[in-house]
Amino acid sequence: MKKITASVLSTFILAMGILSGCGKTDQSVGSESNEDKSKVVTIEAQTAAPEITRVENLEKAAEKLNEELKQQGKDIRVKVKTNLFEGSWEEYAKQFMLAFKAKKEPDIYATGHENIGWLADGNYILPLDELKKSKEYSDVFSTLWDSVTYKGHIWGALQDTEARPVFYNKDVLRKLGWSEEQINNLPEKVKNGEFTLDDMTKLAEEAEAKGLVQFGIIHRPVDGSDFHVMVYNFGGKLYDPEENKIVLDKKAVEKQLNYYYEIAQKKLIPGNLTQMEWSSIHKAVVNGKALFYYGGIWNVFNWSQDNFHEKLGKVDEKWINEHFGMMLIPAAEKGGKPITLSHPFVYTVSSQTEHLELVKRLLELVANPALQAEHDVKTFHLPVTKSAAEHPDFKANETLGNVTYMLEYTTFLPNHEGFPKYSKAVFDAIQAVELGKKTPKEALKDLEVQLKNDLGDQLKIVE
Amino acid sequence: MGSVLKKWKLPAIMLGPFIVLIFLFFFLPVVLIAILAFTSMDSAMRWDFNGLANFQKLVTDPNILLIVKNTVIYVGFTLLINVFFGLVLGILTTYFIQKESVGLFFRTIWMLPRISPPVVYVLLWLWFFDPSEYGVLNSLRAIFHMPPKEWLTTHPMVAVILANGLIGASFGMIIFSSAIKSIPKDLFYAANVDGASQWSIIKDIIIPAMRWPLMFVTLWQFLSLLTSYEYILLLTNGGPLFESEVLALYSYHKAFRNFEFGYGSAISLVLVLIALIFSFIMWKLFGMKKMMGSSRIE
Repeated sequence: MKKITASVLSTFILAMGILSGCGKTDQSVGSESNEDKSKVVTIEAQTAAPEITRVENLEKAAEKLNEELKQQGKDIRVKVKTNLFEGSWEEYAKQFMLAFKAKKEPDIYATGHENIGWLADGNYILPLDELKKSKEYSDVFSTLWDSVTYKGHIWGALQDTEARPVFYNKDVLRKLGWSEEQINNLPEKVKNGEFTLDDMTKLAEEAEAKGLVQFGIIHRPVDGSDFHVMVYNFGGKLYDPEENKIVLDKKAVEKQLNYYYEIAQKKLIPGNLTQMEWSSIHKAVVNGKALFYYGGIWNVFNWSQDNFHEKLGKVDEKWINEHFGMMLIPAAEKGGKPITLSHPFVYTVSSQTEHLELVKRLLELVANPALQAEHDVKTFHLPVTKSAAEHPDFKANETLGNVTYMLEYTTFLPNHEGFPKYSKAVFDAIQAVELGKKTPKEALKDLEVQLKNDLGDQLKIVE
Repeated sequence: MGSVLKKWKLPAIMLGPFIVLIFLFFFLPVVLIAILAFTSMDSAMRWDFNGLANFQKLVTDPNILLIVKNTVIYVGFTLLINVFFGLVLGILTTYFIQKESVGLFFRTIWMLPRISPPVVYVLLWLWFFDPSEYGVLNSLRAIFHMPPKEWLTTHPMVAVILANGLIGASFGMIIFSSAIKSIPKDLFYAANVDGASQWSIIKDIIIPAMRWPLMFVTLWQFLSLLTSYEYILLLTNGGPLFESEVLALYSYHKAFRNFEFGYGSAISLVLVLIALIFSFIMWKLFGMKKMMGSSRIE
C-alpha cells in the first residue's frame, strides 16, 4: 500500500514540475513592463465577429495614446486586450449582462446603437457627452448623433455606419432585355422615385414567371432592423421621443404586413424563408437564384470571406460589382422619397470601468480618419466623420463611393429599451403572414394584443 | 454533546457533500425562481417587486393557450413513446433475447443517442428532416419522384415528439430490463410447463411484476419532459411561430431572448407547481408508499 501511495505521490509531484515548467512563458510578459518602469493599464474591449478591426483599431489607437502619455511624462502605458465574440446578437447581449454582474465585463463594449436604451436604463454604461465636443468628433455627419442620443445624453462613441441597399442581379436584368445603361441607371430611377416598391414587385414577378430566377425577392431570415424600415417607408413612426414610448402605427404596420403578405402570396420569396440559415441566403443570392435581395453593404465583405459561390467559392468586390447593383429601397409611392436604414455601431463604456479618462481619450483617438478608412474599406462599412469620408483610402473604394449618397436617405431604429420586444413581435407577425397562417388584418390584431401585453405602458398606439 | 457528534459524524461526512449540492443546485434555484416570479426584473437586473403582475400577464398572454396545448401534446405523446417503446425494448432485449451478450449489444445501440451530446443527436434529426432534396426523408421521397417537403415547417410537433420519444425510450428500457431480470426464473419455467402462451407470460407475469418500475419511469419521464426543452430549442426553436413552443421553452425564451427574467420565472414557477401537484396525485393514486416496500414476488 505504501509503495502505491509513494508512486502516486511522486507521479503527482513530477507532473506538477512539468506543468509549472510549461507555465514559465507567462511570467516573462510582466518583466517587459518593468524595464521602462511605467505602470501598465489594461483596457479590455470586446466586439462581435467578424469585424475584428473594430477592436484592432483600439489597439492602434492605444499606441498613439502611449506616445501622448510619454510626451506628457506620465508613467502610465495602456494595453488594449481584445476579445471577439462569436454567436448571436442575443447571446452577445446576454454575455455582457452576466459578465457585468460578475464584474468581468470589458471596459469598452462595441455594439449596435439600438442597445443603448437597455444599457443606459440598466446603468450598464456611462454617458459620453464630452465626446460630442471633442475635436476628433467635430465633423461627424450630424444626423448620426441622433442614433446615440437617449434621454438627452450621448451614450456611445460612433464607430461606423452602413447603408442597407437592395442588391439587384444585373445578369437577370440583362436576360430580361435591359440595356447596360438601363441597368446602371436603376439606382438613379429609384432615387428619383420613378421606380417604386410596386415596380420592384412586378419586376420580380416577371423574372420569376420567365424562369430566370427561383426567387424574385429575398430578405433576411431572422429578426432584425431591415423589416422596420418599411414602417418609415409607408409614412409611419416607431418611437415618440417626447413621451419616450414605442409607437405602434397601425396604418403603417398594416401596410408593412400587406407588403410581406403580397410577396409571399405571389411566391416571390422562398416558402420557408424565415426558417432558412444565413448561409443558404448568401448562397441563393451569390449564385443568382434571386433578383432582389434586401441586404447590407457589408455583405460584400461576407461574400469574400466564405465559399458561397458554387463554382468560384469566395467572390471579390470586382466580381460583385459586375454582377450586382445596389439601390435604395424604392419609395412606396410614385415620386416619393426612397429610403434605407442605418445601424451605426458604437463603442459604449462600462459604468464599472476604473480608467474612464484613458478610455475616453482612446475613443477620441480611434476616430482617426485613417483608422476609420481602414476598417471601412476592409469590412465595407461607411465612416462616421466627414474627414474619414475624404480620406484617400476610402475614396479609392468604388463600391463604398457608390453608396455613400445613401446616408442622405437614411433612418434609424429607436434606442428605447423595449424596442427588441417590439421587433420580435413584429417579426412574428411578418412570419405569420408570410407562412399564410394569418391575414395581415388578423396578424395586426394579434400584434396589438401581444405588444400591449409585452410593453404595457411603454406602448403608444396610433390608429 | 460528544455522543451526538459521534452519532452524526459519519452520516455528516457521507451525506454532507450531496446535501450541499442538492441545496445549491436544486433547492436554491426553486427558491430564487419563486422570488423572481414576483419581480419585474428585466435587462436592468433590478429586484423591483410587482406583486402578481407577471401572473396576470401570463393569463392574458395571447400565445398561452396554444403553448399549453402544445405542452400537453408534447408531454403526453412523448411519454407514451417513452414508456411503451421502452417496455417493448425491455421485453425484446431481455425476455425474447435470452442470450445476455446479444441483449446487451442491442441495448447499447439504443443507449448511443443518450451518451452523444444533444447537439450532435439533433443534428442527425435536422439532417433527417432537411427541407432540401439532400435530407434523408426527402431523398427517400425522391426515389418515388415526389418533390421535397419542408418537414420541420409543416409538422414541427411530430418531429419534436419523435426525436424526444426515441431518445427517452432507452431510459425505460434499462429500468424495465433490470426489472424483468429480477423476476425469479421459476415463474417462467412453471408457466412454460403449464403451456402458457407468450402473450399470457407477458400479460400475467412480466407486466404485473413491473408495476413499480412502470410507475417510476412514467413519473420520472413526466417530470423531466415537463421541464425539458433543449431538443426542441435545437430542433425547431419553438417554431414556426409558436407551433412547437412549450411552457419550459417559453420561459427560456422570455427570460433569455426578451430578457424578461421576472416573467420567465413566473412561467417556471407555474411549471414547478404543476410538477408538484402531479407528483402528489400520482403518489396517492398509485400507492407509491406501499410499493417502496420490499418486492412482493420474493
